[in-house]
Amino acid sequence: MSITAAESLGFRGFMRPDGRVGVRNHLALVSTVALANRTAEHAASHFDRVRAAAGDPVLLICGEFQRGLQAGDARLQDEVLERLATHPNVGAAVVLCHDRRAAQAWATRLAAWPTPVEVLAVMDSCGVQHAIDRTVEALIRMDAMRAGFARSDCPFSSLSLALECGGSDASSAVCSNPAIGRFVDRAVAAGATVIVSETAEFIGGEEVVRAQSQSPAIAQAIIDRIAITESRMAGDGDHYRGVNPTAENIEAGLTTLVEKTMGALCKIGEARFAGCLGFGERPSTAGLQFMDTPFFSPCSITGMVAAGAQITLFSMGVFNPSGNTLAPTIKVCGNPDTLSRWSDGIDVGLAELIDGRIGLDEAGMRVRDAVLRVAEGELTHTERWGEGQFIIPRMLPTF
Amino acid sequence: MPRTALTVHPGDNVVTLLDFNVDDRITQEGLPLIGSIPFGHKAASRDIASGEPVIKYGVPICVASRAIQIGEHVHVHNCR
Repeated sequence: MSITAAESLGFRGFMRPDGRVGVRNHLALVSTVALANRTAEHAASHFDRVRAAAGDPVLLICGEFQRGLQAGDARLQDEVLERLATHPNVGAAVVLCHDRRAAQAWATRLAAWPTPVEVLAVMDSCGVQHAIDRTVEALIRMDAMRAGFARSDCPFSSLSLALECGGSDASSAVCSNPAIGRFVDRAVAAGATVIVSETAEFIGGEEVVRAQSQSPAIAQAIIDRIAITESRMAGDGDHYRGVNPTAENIEAGLTTLVEKTMGALCKIGEARFAGCLGFGERPSTAGLQFMDTPFFSPCSITGMVAAGAQITLFSMGVFNPSGNTLAPTIKVCGNPDTLSRWSDGIDVGLAELIDGRIGLDEAGMRVRDAVLRVAEGELTHTERWGEGQFIIPRMLPTF
Repeated sequence: MPRTALTVHPGDNVVTLLDFNVDDRITQEGLPLIGSIPFGHKAASRDIASGEPVIKYGVPICVASRAIQIGEHVHVHNCR
């Protein structure tokens, strides 16, 4: 795959002191536990009201559990929230903890972090209003710090893209997924990182994984993750390999999970897997990466964004609102019916692929062009609607 | 107007309908269709015996739970 001028020119992004690149310069407010969420919500809405003219709201990321989680789940919750707070699309962050001990631990972990971050404990306050006011003051300080970043020339290879699909139907398999696949081939050739997830949706695609991995060891690591997920799914008595797709998928014409998998796999193009990652794990190399995540898209996107993806490419058949507020989500769709009904939620339309008016190469270029425009600041529809959730999986019971 | 039907892989025994002309009964390639098959759904491109795999993308995606005639809608009602 040859690299064209567009890839070699790169884009204008926010270069961070550690060399990572953001496509946004968010002021993030991360509440590490549900106990602090309401204080964070009050502070964010107060700050946004005062600064309404700036038109750039605080990016609020709320945790849920913290206490009562067992070891692995507690560690994952902390790691993922830390990776979100220090994501390259964040210019500066306020981390709001409930208690002083948690705040000290966060401050220690973030002490050497090269972008501005301030850690607060709600319990250091004298009253609820005081807690809100202190958080607003910290947001004002961090807002001034993030203003120090400006866009500059950044290489295409600094991009990391999350691949996702939702509302899959037959058009996903022949339009949006293969169009994204064409783009992925170009992006990987140009040195970018591409992450694909949703382990359950690889069930039945093991031969594709074997054929498209850089080494047998990488293929086996991915296939082992698929087998673990399939055995867990069998635990509730259903045979997902036979008939699983959602009611929505079945209505759209997909009969089994294997059919859905084979269509979904078109979005990796001809690229070869360079790594197999756990949930939210940062890849050590560029290229195509597999991440072991649940198949629910707000959750799988959270994992890929925590790993550093700055942009999400979301392939749709029927409409699915899912997005991410931290990593702009580009919705790509080839279903003519969806395109006519949901035009205010779709960024790249590819209906011309179905009747042959454009080919896959052109469709891949449209995806590439959208990625570069969004990387340089163009808002996606999900950003305009403020759509997006952060969901961290739990494997064990809580107590 | 003949319907648009895609054969994804040469070894497949189903095609995927990619238009909304559900009242038409023949594809552009001349495959006769039995009944209204919605956008994105599959039709058998040859007779499929009960117990025989349904092939799409060149791989078995399910098994026919009863005999399926050429041109018939292939979905959860006649596959497992």
